[in-house]
Amino acid sequence: MKVTTRDDVTAWLDGLSERFTLIAPRAVEEQVLYRPVAGSSEIAFDFSRTDLPVKEYFLPATHVLLSIERGEEGVSVEEPSLDGEQVVFGLRPCDARALRVLDALFLEEEPVDPYYAERRERTALIGLACREMGEECFCTSLGLAPDDASDVDLMLTELADGYAVQVVTEKGERILGDLTLEEVEGTPPKPAVREKTPILEPEAWPQHFEHVYWVRVADRCLSCRLCTYVCPTCRCFDVRDYETPNGDIERLRAWDSCMAEGYRRIAGGHNPRPTKAQRLRNRFYCKFCYYPRDFGPVACVGCGRCISQCPVNVDVVEVLEGVAAL
Amino acid sequence: MTTDFEPQIIGFLCRWCSYPGADLAGTSRITYPPFMRVIRVPCSGRVDPLFVLKAFQDGADGVMVLGCHPGDCHYLEGNYHARRRYALMHRLLEYVGVDKDRLLVDWVSAAEGRHFAEVTTEFTAQVRELGPWGGKRIDG
Amino acid sequence: MTDKIRAKARELLESGQVSCFIGYEEGTRGRVRPAFVYDPQDADRLIWDERCTHNLAVYLHQFQRPPRRGEEPPRVGILLKPCDSRSLNVLFQEEQIERERVYVVGLTCQGVKVNGQPEERCLRCSERVPLVYDLVLGSVPKVVGREDYADVVRLEGLPPGERLAFWMKEFDRCIRCYACRQACPACYCFECVAEQLDPQWMGIAIDVPQKQFFHVMRAYHLAGRCSGCNACEDACPMGIPLSLLNRKIAREVETMFGYKAGQDAVTVPPLATFKKEEALPL
Repeated sequence: MKVTTRDDVTAWLDGLSERFTLIAPRAVEEQVLYRPVAGSSEIAFDFSRTDLPVKEYFLPATHVLLSIERGEEGVSVEEPSLDGEQVVFGLRPCDARALRVLDALFLEEEPVDPYYAERRERTALIGLACREMGEECFCTSLGLAPDDASDVDLMLTELADGYAVQVVTEKGERILGDLTLEEVEGTPPKPAVREKTPILEPEAWPQHFEHVYWVRVADRCLSCRLCTYVCPTCRCFDVRDYETPNGDIERLRAWDSCMAEGYRRIAGGHNPRPTKAQRLRNRFYCKFCYYPRDFGPVACVGCGRCISQCPVNVDVVEVLEGVAAL
Repeated sequence: MTTDFEPQIIGFLCRWCSYPGADLAGTSRITYPPFMRVIRVPCSGRVDPLFVLKAFQDGADGVMVLGCHPGDCHYLEGNYHARRRYALMHRLLEYVGVDKDRLLVDWVSAAEGRHFAEVTTEFTAQVRELGPWGGKRIDG
Repeated sequence: MTDKIRAKARELLESGQVSCFIGYEEGTRGRVRPAFVYDPQDADRLIWDERCTHNLAVYLHQFQRPPRRGEEPPRVGILLKPCDSRSLNVLFQEEQIERERVYVVGLTCQGVKVNGQPEERCLRCSERVPLVYDLVLGSVPKVVGREDYADVVRLEGLPPGERLAFWMKEFDRCIRCYACRQACPACYCFECVAEQLDPQWMGIAIDVPQKQFFHVMRAYHLAGRCSGCNACEDACPMGIPLSLLNRKIAREVETMFGYKAGQDAVTVPPLATFKKEEALPL
């Protein structure tokens, strides 16, 4: 395997932060979040999983799709584009896989989402393999592995005194630059894994649609929506036009959530999912039945953030086990 | 702060007292700074603190809520409610870092054209002193 | 106490007095979660210990909508801590649910813990006995705290620029998920002002000005109604100190109007009433 030292990596990251926008795990109050960093000293190297996924750098929580300005010469339409290029460091395999899941919708279906595509194109991903699966992780149940390098450009694995480096793509080779690598004997250590959870195949879900199980699970759901916001594969959004105080018009795209009561309300006032049981059921079906059926991958990567954050302990692993046992 | 910036001030004036008071200032040819835009409401009690926050959000540098004198409300009680609401709103705005001097709540009757002009002139000067506000964000 | 709770729930369900009993149960991974018991035989799922932080009064919102014609309105049994019982009083004051539809099993409380640490609000709490109940369980605790609003006062003492910077930093972290609002028993509007599309008050943008707007308005809407149950702060995924905002309002309401939320089921809250003569700082 190819290895490098800790100091070399930090120097390399400092160099990257000068040429690109370097996004890495950073301590923010009591959490660890992916944030732009000015240098390696701001990076929280010791973390298990960030509290929010990296999707906000590909599908921003709010961004301007286009702005229409009224000037003296007339009306001009501008499409703001991404400034420079991004490098994400410290991406866990589950979050990297989540980007592939989003690709199946945003890149592989016509029309391609140009805003997502631009960010995906101009971002390099440096993965960091997990030492072990976390308490709430279940990536292996979905066919992933905590050291899976298939979705990143470079994969780093922590060693006692440095990192093992695996170059996965050409983009990874390019940003590797002059990081000195030494070839040594051996292979990177394997992470500790947990027992798998049974997950029904997409075709087996429709038969349980009317089961009262969903109503019982949803009894305690608050429809608070935070599961959809902390989830790396949830991607629903709303688009609206606004007038700015100086008379320009901006078209904004912002995250929306299927767990909101009014999410599916249509013109005329009809709402096909007025109850929280219907919305909760829909969320699970969307992830494990509809998305794989329509786009390919299961829309869950087993990161466990929804499990950690749900205030009333709606545990996706428990639900999957429950559904498999129905 | 700069005295040459033109503040954007939104005034919520009640239809029965403060709005006619403003009219009287106009017909009496009493001058006052022209930066306040009037929104006429039936009663100062109609002014939801939501309107005040929305005004700040959309670029106002100062907001005025003018109603009938307590005891003289056309709808009998509206301004009593407004009085309680805005006492609380002032404290809350101050707490989150919005200068409470950017929100003025006062009572102007239909006969008080001069008082209206005085209040507006003073408030405009105060807001000029405080400088532009307009939905301040942390990133500038 | 757990046995008594289970026994009462079983009795209520067996006799048909209630169609559902809302309490707490053991969840996954050592967590406690709200439990909905429909069958008397399931009453053994109910537990009670210091991990039971949730305010269950929030689940009474679904009884706002009147039952269909000819349908008997459902009655529920519910387990409430003293702070939660104040939230229920607020719902009664505002006529959101009828007293006869709720059978309250009140619990005296020693305080609750999050991740093994006592919640700060419990250390300050002076009300250890529920204010509304049909049955009260537990003995009155000897240790009683005192609310001194120390953290609110400290924040008030900062210069305005620093205060603004503090709140802007907190609102920057917010992801506008509305977990705080959904967990709150006092937030029961069918359509929240933050999500209204016609007119759009706050729009859809998840940016600092809109988030500031939302939090300030929500805090204001809770004036005289917030029981200090901390469900909002507990639910927040980003750890935003919402209690600093809500307790500031509670302190002002107490100072200006001498009123604390939810003390009984009939008093009109201060912002819904007025006094002709009163000196207020304006």
